[in-house]
Amino acid sequence: MTRDDAGEVEERTFAVDLLTRVEGEGAFTLKVAGGEVVDARLKIFEAPRFFEAFLRERSMHEVIDVVARICGICPIAYQMSAARALERALGVEPTAPLLALRRLIYCGEWIESHALHVFMLHAPDFLGYPSAVEMAADHRALVERGLRMKKTGNALIELLGGRAIHPVSPRIGGFSKAPSRRRLRELRDDLARSVDEARETVRWAATLDAPSFDVDYTFVSLSGERGYPLESGETILVSGRAPVALDDWGDASPEMQVPHSTALHARLADGTAFLCGPMARLHHHAERLHPAAAEVMAEVGLERSVTNPYRSIVVRAVELVHAFAEALDLVEAYEEPEAPYVDAAPRAAVGCGATEAPRGLLWHRYELDAEGLVRDARIVPPTSQNQARIEEDLVALAPTLLALPHEEATHRCEQLIRAYDPCISCATHFLDLRIEREGV
Amino acid sequence: MRFLPRAALASLFDALRASGRRVVGPTRRDHAIVHDELESAEDLPIGWTDEQAPGRYRLRRRDDERAFGFVVGPHSWKRELFPPREPLYHATRRPDGKVGFSPIIPEPAPSALLGVRACDLAATQVQGRTFESAEFVEPRYAARRAASLVVAVNCTEPGALCFCASTGTGPRVGAGADLVLTERDDGFLVEAGSDEGAAILDALPTAPASDADVTWVDEAMAAATSAMGRQLDVEGLPGLLFGNLDHPRWAEVAARCLACGNCTNVCPTCFCSTTETPSDLDGQDATQVRLWDSCFTVEHGAMHGASVRPTTRDRYRQWLTHKLGAWVPQFGVSGCVGCGRCVAWCPVGIDLTEEVAAIREGAAAPVALPEPASRQPGVPDDLTPRVARVVDVVRETSDVVTLRLRLDGRVAHRPGQFHQLALPAIGEAPISVSGRADGRDLDDHLDHHFVDHTIRAVGGVTRALCALSPGDELGLRGPYGRPWPLDALRGRPVVVIAGGIGLAPLRETLRELLASPADYPDVRLFYGARTPDDALYLDELRAGTRPGFTLRVTVDHAPPTWRGEIGVVTRLLRGDAVPEGAACLMCGPEVMMRFSIEALRAAGIPDERIWITMERHMKCAAGFCGRCQYGPYFVCKDGPVFRLDEVALLFGRDGF
Amino acid sequence: MASDAPAPGATGRPRLAVYKLASCDGCQLTLLDCEDELLHIADRVHVAHFTEMTSLSDTSEPFDVTLVEGSVTTAEQREHVRHIRASTKLLVTIGACATAGGVQALRNWRDASEMLRVVYARPEYIDALATSTPISDHVKVDFELRGCPIDKRQLLELLTALLTGRKPAIRDESVCMECKRAGNVCVMVARDEPCLGPITHAGCGALCPSYDRGCYGCFGPHEAANARALGTWLREAGAPAAEVKRRLRLFTGWSPAFREESERHDEG
Repeated sequence: MTRDDAGEVEERTFAVDLLTRVEGEGAFTLKVAGGEVVDARLKIFEAPRFFEAFLRERSMHEVIDVVARICGICPIAYQMSAARALERALGVEPTAPLLALRRLIYCGEWIESHALHVFMLHAPDFLGYPSAVEMAADHRALVERGLRMKKTGNALIELLGGRAIHPVSPRIGGFSKAPSRRRLRELRDDLARSVDEARETVRWAATLDAPSFDVDYTFVSLSGERGYPLESGETILVSGRAPVALDDWGDASPEMQVPHSTALHARLADGTAFLCGPMARLHHHAERLHPAAAEVMAEVGLERSVTNPYRSIVVRAVELVHAFAEALDLVEAYEEPEAPYVDAAPRAAVGCGATEAPRGLLWHRYELDAEGLVRDARIVPPTSQNQARIEEDLVALAPTLLALPHEEATHRCEQLIRAYDPCISCATHFLDLRIEREGV
Repeated sequence: MRFLPRAALASLFDALRASGRRVVGPTRRDHAIVHDELESAEDLPIGWTDEQAPGRYRLRRRDDERAFGFVVGPHSWKRELFPPREPLYHATRRPDGKVGFSPIIPEPAPSALLGVRACDLAATQVQGRTFESAEFVEPRYAARRAASLVVAVNCTEPGALCFCASTGTGPRVGAGADLVLTERDDGFLVEAGSDEGAAILDALPTAPASDADVTWVDEAMAAATSAMGRQLDVEGLPGLLFGNLDHPRWAEVAARCLACGNCTNVCPTCFCSTTETPSDLDGQDATQVRLWDSCFTVEHGAMHGASVRPTTRDRYRQWLTHKLGAWVPQFGVSGCVGCGRCVAWCPVGIDLTEEVAAIREGAAAPVALPEPASRQPGVPDDLTPRVARVVDVVRETSDVVTLRLRLDGRVAHRPGQFHQLALPAIGEAPISVSGRADGRDLDDHLDHHFVDHTIRAVGGVTRALCALSPGDELGLRGPYGRPWPLDALRGRPVVVIAGGIGLAPLRETLRELLASPADYPDVRLFYGARTPDDALYLDELRAGTRPGFTLRVTVDHAPPTWRGEIGVVTRLLRGDAVPEGAACLMCGPEVMMRFSIEALRAAGIPDERIWITMERHMKCAAGFCGRCQYGPYFVCKDGPVFRLDEVALLFGRDGF
Repeated sequence: MASDAPAPGATGRPRLAVYKLASCDGCQLTLLDCEDELLHIADRVHVAHFTEMTSLSDTSEPFDVTLVEGSVTTAEQREHVRHIRASTKLLVTIGACATAGGVQALRNWRDASEMLRVVYARPEYIDALATSTPISDHVKVDFELRGCPIDKRQLLELLTALLTGRKPAIRDESVCMECKRAGNVCVMVARDEPCLGPITHAGCGALCPSYDRGCYGCFGPHEAANARALGTWLREAGAPAAEVKRRLRLFTGWSPAFREESERHDEG
């Protein structure tokens, strides 16, 4: 706490120079003077990697491998959004069993990512530990349960994709190889056990003490023809407004560069910051949850529109139940496809595609030439969409912080950011394209 | 010979299963015909054939329903008998320093290898010489082979890359098969080659074969012999290849070779392997695992952080000279059976027959290679260490210690031999015995024997060995290797030349020489070390002075207080240092030995009276892993002590 | 490497740090993906700095082992990596970014003036070097784990080897060695699928061929990689120069062996 020499205005700064238990490197500053927020920044200083620039001139078949490298936590999300966009450009549609396999591998990623966040990154905030390792000293069973669930998610990805991080089998039109029914069914017991463990996780998460803080969110989520939003969808739902067609999302949600961040900020055309991710999905699609998830949600009394970001851990736990239960259903119903992928001939075309990454809407757009080389690529990841919302949340949080001891207030800010499960590695890799456009 | 109608092929599966066997045979998978467990005759690649060219393999539909209408695919039968990855033993180490080792020996289910071609049967016999009849028997391999029944198939349609007629290994299946099938449109002509084969044949719904049938088989075999897609002139190949180690073709092929190792992996006779020691994080429970290696990997030629075969030229030459040359002195047979797999599955289509033909062009004169080694009948070696205990540790120099180990039972080694010392989760290292002790100062000396090992800390294992303390346990297996030829020295002046740690394997021999002045009246030790502090055993040697013993020590670098010689060890060999009629024992760095040999030859000592120790990385020590190959030899069992004339062909040459 | 095996830190356990530079987080996530071993590792090793896992950061004394993922792409990172080197006994680089520059090294071939325009259009906002380079270009590295991402089994082997004092069983051999041990059918020979396996460092378990596709070289070249021979073969088999160049120039394209050969197929 400082008081300037004149002594009239109290100025307080809450800041963390290196956020921990998030993916990638970021910091924040919240400056309050005379009761007014004068500065709220989520600073992202992760080095940009220029993906959109070097996707140009690559073959369409390489895109899925390349974009996976944007994020080690959610590579499948990138692969699936790219596959979707490229298939829409090329006019091919994977067969139903292949789409089911896509949902299955995507469930694996949600499980892996959510379990990581719930147990290893987020839970220590509620229970008061620096990490899950220290937490395990007192809550061994809890941490082991989380690790077990995470392992089941990874096992699913490894079987379908070859490895948990940057899997190799997803491709345009499907997979390079489809798993055998026998191998897939070996996962049934683990999945069934995990459904129960995920239910337990919801019950446990619902008991965690969250600071009271509510935000009037504009929720944004993909909407597909059926099922909880995941691997496909042609419409983007925006709460309180008209839905946006998939192809129009790039214009509906322009990105801009801000000085303190190597990630672009996205807002709606009128400047409204919005929220995507688990809370937005639940708000729009609660009725599409797997019954196993819906039941436990009702049991703990969770409302579909959660407006307190600190309670996102409960929503992620509900989505864990959904992902395990749906994965189990998909495994039970699996029939080996006749071919692991549908062939796609190159053509000059543009295609947009979006899927629901663990952290929210992930939108891609590709322009291909007649040989199937990429002419232009644009990727809008969830964290850059949520970044403006996070900063506005910090502003909204400020009044409640002034009465708190400095350290606790700072921690509450950090906890708020962490509740979004920001993926900073994802957020930073798209800068060049815009600069290039503006600079050239 | 009997005739089995095509429609009754299923009965063969029934009979094999009735004999309690799983059936492993060809089946179509992933665009190739591979080996896998078969449920029924339907799993066979009925109506399929393979088309092969260098670096190319394609399946194609036949216009008939032949079950064996193809040649050989990417898998060879060595996968069944010598699995790519196989545990050898469990090892445990407890915090109190106690260790334990238990061998892992499979009890394979009886199996029938169905569809074995003549070349592949020959290959199994060739590889069997490595694992079963060359001094040591590998029990895991032996168990699998004993559990296998061979149902062979004669090739009537050789492929484009086949040359078994050249190598004398086909197309007709030779001795060793339990059953032999010859397929034609209406069915199979079947012969039994063993009692068990005959019993199975009896159970099949066959009819007697006619004379015409027998003649048909003979004619089909003759036709196949003349239809080979490739030829290999094998005449005098071992001597030709070793006589042309500097042929320009080696560099030319190396420019195309990917050094990927595909050829050795698909080769049905290649046997090189390496080991790993995966363990838990604490290193308390480990498994020694053997896995396929290749002479094309850097690890295969690695020694002391460098490589004896650093270039692809060296590696390709090692492979071809071994396969077609060194195999003969090693095992009495060529390592190539003419299956063509290395040609087809080379990603860039390097054709061994073409390479050999190119080397024949403008070839220099062949050389003579040693006669095939006369191997003793095999004794089993499961490669599992037994427990030994450290009873004393002597720090010899800054990086050398001598461990005195207590072993159960009698002394088994002879001077110059070595043991494999093992530490759980860390690995094994070959260490020469540097002495024995009666252990009279120890309580339990009557039930044990005591051997010394002098070890220099250079790698992970030796560093860990040097860090052991009295009371610690470790693993030990052996003894291995050829000892020093003490009898051949009797009555002659003996010149012993050693460099650095090379004195350790000579120490016990020196003691024996010095203890028998009547047999060895003139013993001269010339010893070179880096510095006076690095010289081993000086106190012992000086104390052991006796008439007729000359001790001369030289060092590379010395403080002013050093009163001895300075310079390389060959300086000590000048003048009359080497007496006429002397025999010489030598151990030290290769470069030291090279210069010493020049000096000895200049002094009129013939190669037949010079013995050297060759160092190559000995991993299994029993001749199974191929790591320590040195041209026609395995250093682990043909050496490490060699008479110079035996290795003169390669000694001092790079790349071997 | 075992000679430099970490001496136990003040806590009696070796002190481990994990850092990242320009990267996707995947390699450090591999440590958190060791679900069965993680808590046991944390018992044996003091995780002194690892921002993705823990809010604790104990930089009071040097680390015994530091794992670094990511490549050097900014002046700040260049300084950072020197600081990391100075604060650790053993420096282990993990992954294709740290060992070869990563996929972001594709910028290295860009025309310098274009890169300047791209990067410095708003120099007050961002700062990036025109190149992405492996850590070994900047400081001494004690050991490398290859891969995009690294292989979990290799990471565990490395940690176990460090703790037990053995040489890690990380073999420098081709992907083909693993592929053949696995019993795969060669995708290149049996169906003309271009595959970098013959020139690529093993460690993945021959993943791509096991999933019916050619290797894309994410572990970088092995020690004897003859990229020229493979490039020549692919061209002779009908692949256009641009395709051969692209295949070599991906996640480890900046490694000398792949770089040199890809440049041989540069048209114009």
